Amino acid sequence: MGAEHLSFAARTAGLPNPLTGLKVVELAEDPGGEFTGLLLAQLGAEVVKLEGPEGSPTRAAGPWAKGAEGPETSLKFWFYNSNKKSVTADVRTPAGLAALQDLLADADVFICTLQPHALAAAGLDLEAILEAHPKLIIAAVTAFGLTGPWKDYKSSDIVALAAGGPLNSCGYDDHTIPPIRPGGDQAYHTVASFAQIGIMLALLERQKTGRGDLLDISMHEACAVNVELANPYWFYPRVHVHRQTCRHAQPSPTQPALFRCADDRYVYFALILAEPKAWKSLVDWMDSKGMAAMLTEPEYQDVKFRQDNFHLVQEVVECFFLVHTAEEMYREGQAAGLPIGVLNAPEDLFHDEHLIARDFFARVEHEGVGEVAYPGPIYRFSSFCEVARTPAPKLGEHNAEILKSEAGS
Amino acid sequence: MLESTRVKLPAAGASRRPGARRGPLAGVRVADFCWMGVGACATRLLADFGAEVIRIEDRNRLDMPRRLPIYKGEARTYGEEDANPDPNKGGLFNNYNRNKLGVTINMRSPKGRALADRLIAASSVVTENFAPGVMERWGLTYERLNQISPDVIYARMSGFGHSGPHAEYRSYGPVVQAVCGLSHISGLPGEEPSGWGLSYMDNEAAFFNASALLTAIYHRGLTGQGAEIDVAAVEAGINLLGPVLLEVSVNGRSTRGGDYPTGNRLEHPNAAPHGVYPCEGQDRWIAIAVFNDAEWAALAAEIGADWTADPRFASQAARFANQDALDAHMADWTKGQDRYGLMRRLQAAGVAAGAVQTAEDTNDHDPQIAGRGLFFEMDHPVIGEARFEGTPIRFRETLQENWRSGPLLGEDNAYVFKELLGVAEDEYQDLVMEGAL
Repeated sequence: MGAEHLSFAARTAGLPNPLTGLKVVELAEDPGGEFTGLLLAQLGAEVVKLEGPEGSPTRAAGPWAKGAEGPETSLKFWFYNSNKKSVTADVRTPAGLAALQDLLADADVFICTLQPHALAAAGLDLEAILEAHPKLIIAAVTAFGLTGPWKDYKSSDIVALAAGGPLNSCGYDDHTIPPIRPGGDQAYHTVASFAQIGIMLALLERQKTGRGDLLDISMHEACAVNVELANPYWFYPRVHVHRQTCRHAQPSPTQPALFRCADDRYVYFALILAEPKAWKSLVDWMDSKGMAAMLTEPEYQDVKFRQDNFHLVQEVVECFFLVHTAEEMYREGQAAGLPIGVLNAPEDLFHDEHLIARDFFARVEHEGVGEVAYPGPIYRFSSFCEVARTPAPKLGEHNAEILKSEAGS
Repeated sequence: MLESTRVKLPAAGASRRPGARRGPLAGVRVADFCWMGVGACATRLLADFGAEVIRIEDRNRLDMPRRLPIYKGEARTYGEEDANPDPNKGGLFNNYNRNKLGVTINMRSPKGRALADRLIAASSVVTENFAPGVMERWGLTYERLNQISPDVIYARMSGFGHSGPHAEYRSYGPVVQAVCGLSHISGLPGEEPSGWGLSYMDNEAAFFNASALLTAIYHRGLTGQGAEIDVAAVEAGINLLGPVLLEVSVNGRSTRGGDYPTGNRLEHPNAAPHGVYPCEGQDRWIAIAVFNDAEWAALAAEIGADWTADPRFASQAARFANQDALDAHMADWTKGQDRYGLMRRLQAAGVAAGAVQTAEDTNDHDPQIAGRGLFFEMDHPVIGEARFEGTPIRFRETLQENWRSGPLLGEDNAYVFKELLGVAEDEYQDLVMEGAL
């Protein structure tokens, strides 16, 4: 694509948002449900977040904007709840339950993260809600699902990654070190991804039949199908994969793929010895910088020889990276057609020329804090306007606008 | 509640011949140029729910999952490919491509490209995940596709997106994870990053691409309008960094050096203990996460040892400040115990705990997953009985139909070209002879 495609935002100004007109009620007490609501809000749906009088548990968790602790300064809450509206009502009281019923009356989607015991304690019967609102799409986004022996087990991001399987593949070559949880709330993000898919499928079904649906989406299962090779290696040859530092867990050890560079940053590069084209690119590139050493010798043209001597190859390549900066290796390696990735830290991303050229980051004005950079859109559609990112709501900010009764006061 | 899931499996002995599809995407035909992990996993989600996904493959450039040696009865590591693989034996391909039709087209041949145009004209969705420029070389721009198939939805899936100075950069899961920051934020402080032991971003980018496709199909149902979609896996990955990105942009936090990244410890909230501890057996572990005093009291009662009364562990703040000592005691307590017994015992006491499960565990021993039917089997002409990972969503109404295992190479050529597109027998034979298929 040429320069005319540089800005989808410019081409699509004035077009509708993809989910304009869709009303969503979110009763979410963890980032899984909150991220589900966010994914819909970022496509233009009106998401009304129903919080208890003390606010969502994420309001009570840091990190904090400028170190100031409080329900309006949680960066965790900001991240997961931008573009939403907030109303307060305690669903564990009759008045709160009535407020929820009012909200559901004209909603298209209801996101609920309460586990079965919590649903029962609050007197919430999802089947009955669907019966009362047959066009409603109810997405129960829970730790283990609504049924089964573990349905009320407690979870968290690390517990879900452990029990679901991804954690078994993550960590270091040294297996005296336990598996290491990858950063971010990825078990919650994974279940939210499936919840979004399920909701869209149910909306498509409703487009045909007019009927709503009840969806039971399990974080445990979402993790169990997010292990990539570990499942097929068990399904077919029935072997286990073993974790290896920052590269694919495999049935047997492979060579390291992280290379330290002169500026103490790293690049990821999986040396593929068997691919002649990639091998030639690598050696030519190293040679152009006077560092190919013995790799230009004729015997290294032979795949078998390379494989038998891979530790020698690895050493020369390690030296090559060690005397250049990571950014230089990333750009030059990619220019040579090699799939090399620089390990960016979050702070590096704001200076990335590619992301700047794509005008990726969203700038959001926060009262008293100033302009804050958020991640930009996940998708660019030629037929829709980009949805602007707006700050997360204050606790109960939309009570007067949205709640019919005094439940929120 | 939702005891039976709306997943349909074919009757025993059902033919592999494609039939009418059911489900929310019935009536949607997809000309699917996708391959590898991201693309195949994204269009599998459409094929599972009724779309007629027609995989277009090249006999001369086999899809990597057809070549990877994940075979029944043969354990080899990724990278130790078979020089002359049976393209119909690859387990990874089978897992990624169930419920799809398979055709072969040689896109380097003018007749092949003309045939692809006919297939696109008969489809309303086109998907691809080549390096940017490949579809353009074949003349398949959005503008042209929209002429061939009015109001087409054209989903483009790539590492860096279809504009910008790095658009042509090569990528696959681990490269995307590196560039978007996910690898850097994972690991022990002061050590090299441990990153990800899988192509997490292949899966996540696939899920987001599927969502984008469903959103565009939904919108077309309302307005009749198509769309071009550009999803860059790196940008999707940045959206998954979570609050740490705001810590950097709001507070100017450095994520290099010091105590960052935090390994298995959690800073927000100050959870403690929060980690992965050794259990009985080789490389067996349990994750335990304690978020407040009540959970700590429950855990301490289960441990029943004097050290739990140490003033260093008397409050959440104190426990968080003394995690080295706390983790040493925890590991000492867990190391002789069975991971499942411990998990059940702690969960019964109200403490979040999960055994670190392998794929064998989740497939064959996990009572929660077994009861919900997540994994399932279908027959395959070469592989035999083959297992699949299902979709972790139980619908009360919406149908997921699993009608066939992955297509053999070119299995549906005759059906798609002759029956769906109306190519005459003699023309079909010419296309075969000339190597256009």
